[in-house]
Amino acid sequence: MSDSMGRVVRLPLATRAGPAGDALARTAASIGSSVARLSEEPRGVVDDWGRDPDLARMMVALTHLRWNVTVGGDQQLPKRKGALICINARPLAQSTVLASFAVSDATDRPVRYVGRPDGGPIGALAQRLGALLAEPEEVAGALANGQLVVMSAAAANGGRRVGTVDRSLIGAAVATRTSVYPAAVVSSPMTRDARVEVGAPSRVRATRRGPLAELELADRVRNDITTMLDELGDIATGTTLDWLPFGVSGGN
Amino acid sequence: MSGRRVFVSGVGGELGTLVATMLEAEDWVGELVGIDVDPPRRRLIRTTYHRIHPDDHDHIVSTIVDFDPHVLVHVGVWEPNARATPRQAALLTDMAATSIIGAAAECPALEHIVVRSGIEIYGRGAGALTRPTERATTQPTSEWGRTVAEIEQTATRVAERVGVNVGTLRLAPVIGPHVPSPLGRLLRLPAVPFSALTDPAFAVIEDTDAACAIVAAARVGLDRPVNVVASGAITALQASRRGNRLPVPIAGPPWAAARAASYLLGAPIPDHVLETLQRGRLADNSAMKPLLGLVPQSDTRTVIDRLYRWPTVIRQPARAPAA
Repeated sequence: MSDSMGRVVRLPLATRAGPAGDALARTAASIGSSVARLSEEPRGVVDDWGRDPDLARMMVALTHLRWNVTVGGDQQLPKRKGALICINARPLAQSTVLASFAVSDATDRPVRYVGRPDGGPIGALAQRLGALLAEPEEVAGALANGQLVVMSAAAANGGRRVGTVDRSLIGAAVATRTSVYPAAVVSSPMTRDARVEVGAPSRVRATRRGPLAELELADRVRNDITTMLDELGDIATGTTLDWLPFGVSGGN
Repeated sequence: MSGRRVFVSGVGGELGTLVATMLEAEDWVGELVGIDVDPPRRRLIRTTYHRIHPDDHDHIVSTIVDFDPHVLVHVGVWEPNARATPRQAALLTDMAATSIIGAAAECPALEHIVVRSGIEIYGRGAGALTRPTERATTQPTSEWGRTVAEIEQTATRVAERVGVNVGTLRLAPVIGPHVPSPLGRLLRLPAVPFSALTDPAFAVIEDTDAACAIVAAARVGLDRPVNVVASGAITALQASRRGNRLPVPIAGPPWAAARAASYLLGAPIPDHVLETLQRGRLADNSAMKPLLGLVPQSDTRTVIDRLYRWPTVIRQPARAPAA
């Protein structure tokens, strides 16, 4: 064996089991690989997905100036494997960004979020912060690679309403056999307090072989987030606005 | 499976020579024959080398058919602006692919074809995935991407007709001390242009890791595409900073001037490198471990750091005038 060959680590080969075997082999490979830690990320380079750790750290620090985010339930997230975290969202509130920063801080792992424009300076900036395209293949690739990914339900106005959950993105988790975690995000525009509560992974009773799997799981995730929002209640602003019955403070 | 006859096209290039060197050390390899228009870059012990131009179709066919290989390793491709102009590169690559893969199809002993391709095959058009896996749709958006897509199609069609396996290695831009790489040349310029608006991430692969992957594919009988990409990524701005180069922000029409200036400085920017600088180029490499049984030794950051550590060319004047 030549010197150069000796520099390569040889590992057991996977059996050839077609595309399904490929996905499982990828997942197994990602689990076996080391998990990226925020505290160990090298400086001056971007990671495999184009996320810039230096820029992300700076943006997290800036976020702390505005928000004081408390994260609960993060211990339920897998320590090494990938997971899809689905949150509720309000129009124009960049909840996925906020939640991904908060969960990233809590778990000491880089967290991706779904929903960046493709191209242009905004898309490039979002990619530097860990954003992915809202494409099932893109999300499936990240999940199979052992990444934590935050996606949001469709934006819904007021109260504790949760919009529909994109079942094609949930399908990416189903295809890669990754758990989907519901998470409730509550915040108030009047105060600095915000909370991200991660729940237990959503499960459906029936085992489906076809597209009903993601359809039913998406509905289940939506219901789970609604239940969590009901349990959390609104964030109090400490002002008379809290007395109003329709949640003018924006907490949901 | 010892005593296999292996044929390597493009054995004169840096990558081809590395592959042949490594194949010589493999115990399953019996006879080894290689062809190229240029002689190998290093001394090969067991390899029989034939110097044949890609347009010498009859000579190529007779050489391959007479040898009757079990395994064909096709690395005889020309990247635009690496050793030839984009037009010449496309022509030479097409001629070589047609003659070599076509001749291999006439060999009764042929069992397996390994083809060198590139991650440029995925393209970077609107909506292109950030880090495509091998199952992603291939929509090349550059000349080099279309060229490797045609090679893959040719190999796949031939393999289906004659009933053999074809394994395709989609390499990231290959960087190494002696590899003629337009991206490597550009990054070594004293001033490195980068996209001021996006500065996207890209990944590369070191030449030895690429050669190891090609040899592994031949050894295991790879029968599908695999991305061969080093872990990690870097942007042009970050690379220039690591190499203490002057980063030059470019946006919009000034890219044409930057390309012209770079051309004059000896580092032309072909369209696939421009695309890399403007749109980035990443690919998922997690299939390497399960399918090839190896992981790249060097990550992208290390490869780029080594790129800047290579000594510059020292020009020695002749001791005595030649004429």
